[in-house]
Amino acid sequence: MESIVTTQALVSATDLSRVYGTGEAEVRALDGVSVDFPAGRFTAIMGASGSGKSTLMHVLAGLDRPTSGTVQVDGVELGGLDDKRLTELRREKIGFVFQSFNLLPVLNARENIVLPLSIAGKKGDQEWIDRLIETVGLGDRLSHRPSELSGGQQQRVAVARALVARPAVVFGDEPTGNLDSRSSGEVMNLLRRSVDEFGQTVIMVTHDAGAAAYADRIVVLADGRIVHDGDAGSADDVLDLMKAVA
Amino acid sequence: MTRIALRGLLARKLRFFLTALAVLLGTTLIAGTYIFTDSINSGFDKIFTASNKGTDASVTAKKTFENSDGTQPVVPASVLEQVRKAPDVETAGGTVFDLATILDKKGKRTGSGGAPSFIGSVAPEARFNAVTYPQGRGPRTDDEAAVDNGTAKKAGFKVGDRICAVAAQPRKCFKLVGVTEIAGVGFGGASTLELTLHAAQRMLDKKGFDQIQAASKPGVSPQKLSDELRASLPASVQVRTGQQEAAKQSADIRDNLGFLKIALLAFAGISLFVGAFLIFNTFSITVAQRSREIALLRTLGASRKQVLRSVILEGLLVGIVGGFLGVALGLGTAAGLKELFKAFGADLPSGGSVLATRTIVLTVAVGAVVSVVSSIAPAIRATRVAPIEALTESAAPVTKAASRRLTISALALLALGVALMCLGLFASLSTNGALSAVGAGAALTFIGVALVSPHLVRPLASAIGGPIERFTGITGRLARENSVRQSGRTAVTAAALMIGVALVTFASIFAAGAKTTIAKAVDQNLRGELVVQASGGNQPFAPGLLQQAARTDGVAAASGVRFSKAKLPGGKTVQVASIEPPTFTKLYDLKLKTGSLGDVRALGDGQALMSKKYAEGNDLDVGATVRATTPSGKRVPLKVTAITDDNGFLSTDLVVSEPVMRRDFGETKDAVGFIGLRPGADAKAVKKQLTALVDREYPGSEVLTDKEFKDSVAGQVDQLLTLIYALLALAIIVSLFGIVNTLVLSVTERTRELGMLRAIGTSRKQVKRMIRWEAVITALIGSILGAVVGVILAVLFTRPLDDFTLSIPIGTLVAVLILGGVAGVFAAILPARRASRLNVLDALAYE
Repeated sequence: MESIVTTQALVSATDLSRVYGTGEAEVRALDGVSVDFPAGRFTAIMGASGSGKSTLMHVLAGLDRPTSGTVQVDGVELGGLDDKRLTELRREKIGFVFQSFNLLPVLNARENIVLPLSIAGKKGDQEWIDRLIETVGLGDRLSHRPSELSGGQQQRVAVARALVARPAVVFGDEPTGNLDSRSSGEVMNLLRRSVDEFGQTVIMVTHDAGAAAYADRIVVLADGRIVHDGDAGSADDVLDLMKAVA
Repeated sequence: MTRIALRGLLARKLRFFLTALAVLLGTTLIAGTYIFTDSINSGFDKIFTASNKGTDASVTAKKTFENSDGTQPVVPASVLEQVRKAPDVETAGGTVFDLATILDKKGKRTGSGGAPSFIGSVAPEARFNAVTYPQGRGPRTDDEAAVDNGTAKKAGFKVGDRICAVAAQPRKCFKLVGVTEIAGVGFGGASTLELTLHAAQRMLDKKGFDQIQAASKPGVSPQKLSDELRASLPASVQVRTGQQEAAKQSADIRDNLGFLKIALLAFAGISLFVGAFLIFNTFSITVAQRSREIALLRTLGASRKQVLRSVILEGLLVGIVGGFLGVALGLGTAAGLKELFKAFGADLPSGGSVLATRTIVLTVAVGAVVSVVSSIAPAIRATRVAPIEALTESAAPVTKAASRRLTISALALLALGVALMCLGLFASLSTNGALSAVGAGAALTFIGVALVSPHLVRPLASAIGGPIERFTGITGRLARENSVRQSGRTAVTAAALMIGVALVTFASIFAAGAKTTIAKAVDQNLRGELVVQASGGNQPFAPGLLQQAARTDGVAAASGVRFSKAKLPGGKTVQVASIEPPTFTKLYDLKLKTGSLGDVRALGDGQALMSKKYAEGNDLDVGATVRATTPSGKRVPLKVTAITDDNGFLSTDLVVSEPVMRRDFGETKDAVGFIGLRPGADAKAVKKQLTALVDREYPGSEVLTDKEFKDSVAGQVDQLLTLIYALLALAIIVSLFGIVNTLVLSVTERTRELGMLRAIGTSRKQVKRMIRWEAVITALIGSILGAVVGVILAVLFTRPLDDFTLSIPIGTLVAVLILGGVAGVFAAILPARRASRLNVLDALAYE
């Protein structure tokens, strides 16, 4: 498998379709999408509700299977993997940041951050963990449980959790969806720094123009097809872009 | 609102099913018990109705009081002559019927375990005959016999075979001339050997009759005949019409089986009590999970009353469904109970299952009431959901620390429970009052512990989870954290298991104590080398056995002990034992409080030894005279010559000499015999010789060394214990369903968390492991609490028994804890599978 790792694209999708339902009720959430995501880049996937952006992310992350087409993540073809292999892939190569934080309420912040390592039964690189924690900037709140943290703090813990196992790619699913603008800024800064400082690859679904402006590249979907793929600009540029493609 | 409640139920079929199952297991046992006992009673009714069919008047000995284990008083032979001479009597005859041992072709007693067998005399007149002969005929001469169909089939007897029996006389054999059947009802494992009147009287050593049957001349009603006979016969006999006699015999059996019924219903009650915990927990959890839905209904105008009603309605439906299913399964349970008792040696007659309307109504009502009562507290909690909660962000319900008020009331409940139990145990209440106080006290104690236990969940979970965590890492850690995050829920789930475990622990400690106590008594009291008893205990044996044993080479002395009952002034019925004074003190080390062994050796006519307990309780001492009424109605004055202080075989309140026992109490058979050997005799050889004697002439009895005797008693205790375990298993199974149910609901509640865990790389195996450990932790919390409560209860309950040696079976306790953990693994199978199969995307989107 390792020998296939030659392409520049860390995550690539070829001719992806995803159809829900049959007959009258058929919904084509993805309709022949092909797209590459190179390593070390921050991509925002945008689009209106029902445009297929979430489906695209789910398929790319191996949480959903495409009706047709293929996905490769870090040289691994997802199509042939059973549940066990997919689990291992997610454990080793993928990090997630969810809209609703999804921290475990029974663990404190530090324990939540290292959870992926604990699940994999690894100790992890202590230096890296310390650096990560420092970057996240939670300071004295590390021993607090999620219920004692603000939304922004919880999401920063979630970002650290996504990064802790040094995955090949971090997927974000509306990571600012439940946050106020200040907290959103902190979380997006953190993701941006992970790309700039650690060379992390980040793919994020969002409909928040402000968040998308932190990305290097914006892919816009409508009706299951890519209607725009280009460099990101300022938030205003993004808003204009969205108006243009809508 | 009702429709919404119904929809809610149907939408959550698994939960509904598991909750109904909690009711079901208890109600099944209730229905099963009633069907079982009704069927037995109906079988006996048929037998007694048939056997009194041709009887217009029946004469039996008047019983002063119930002495069911001992030899029954008889109607003197002279009474039959009087009956025959009565002007309105057309014909009359007497019969005898009593316990005996019937031997199979190998010379061993027929029937398994403790199934009773009888010798009965053939009907004196054809009109009194209830027996039919599918094969052959009834006995006509004293060396002929007929045996019941069931025994003939089981032991392979055919007409023309030889069949032998032992009763008050040594073994005697008869020519089998017929096979009997009565009213088409199977007697189960009980055997009856039919002999001629003379042969039966001889075998049973009866000089009179157990029953005299009379038929009236044409035109005289049974009532008139009975009245006339009653007026002319002595006061020591009882006259009834045939119908009344059948009813009386049925009622006696009913009374004897009443204990069985109550015991079985008690176990059903325990299962239902545990089921109530499960129902309460399930409804509490679902109300918490549905608080948003409830709040929404409230914003749409539903009143508190409607919310309350909908939750209670749900409880009612669960109860009714559980009740009806219980009735249906009760039919199977009744058959199961019959098999269970058969396995333990008590085969009961059966004439088909009887499902009375009362059984159905009662079972369904009990199921409904238990279920409704358990749903009241959650229903009230549901009414407290504020409409605003519909609008706030939904999250998994937050743990509320147990309120101080709840804790205080829990402790008060606990104290009240313990106080009630102490009242029942130590205060001198009537038996029923004491039992009710103890039962209610135990129930309150369990509820109290359950309500206090949320405080214990965290430390216990840490203690149990610590080692697990070390081996399993994060899955064990999460399992532990998950088990304490809703400590009230875990506590109630564990408390349900606690009840079963506590009772198992209690029973095992009690049994171990009983065994130790008996072993100690044997070690301390027995001076002889050998003990004689009927195989399997209980039944007395013919006195000729010990007489012959005493004449055997190498035997120094043999001495028998008999038991009976007496009614003493004040109406109290006490146990009476008899000894053979000259030999007894050589073979038994009788402890005395006052008096000397010389007094014991000189025990004679009109004298008795009295227990310390009775003497102190009634302020009596040596020299006092008590007037004892014997089972045959005789009044005997007995002068107390010494006060005993015995914890062994002679712990009865009175001890008399053998001649008094035979003459005044009518007891002619020995319950246990002690044999001492001559110095230098070869113990093994003597035992072999005695065993040969017993096998030849007194089969059904056995000669045991002291050690074998202890083992034999221990074996009987263990058998009873196994039966209790089997019945308690039901309560434990219910509590395991409780763990399943709680986990299924918790998994539902944590769906999103599970989705996240799977998304970030948790394998299905790890998810399963996590749930499994949570179940194990919960089960172990319940087992530990149960073991502790069980030990405390056992210590408390054995306090009033001053002869009781408490011994705690550590091995059993460890086994209970291990089994508790294993049970947790089983309980986790279903919820773990559900959790591991969650679709990650769906789970993440779950609200």
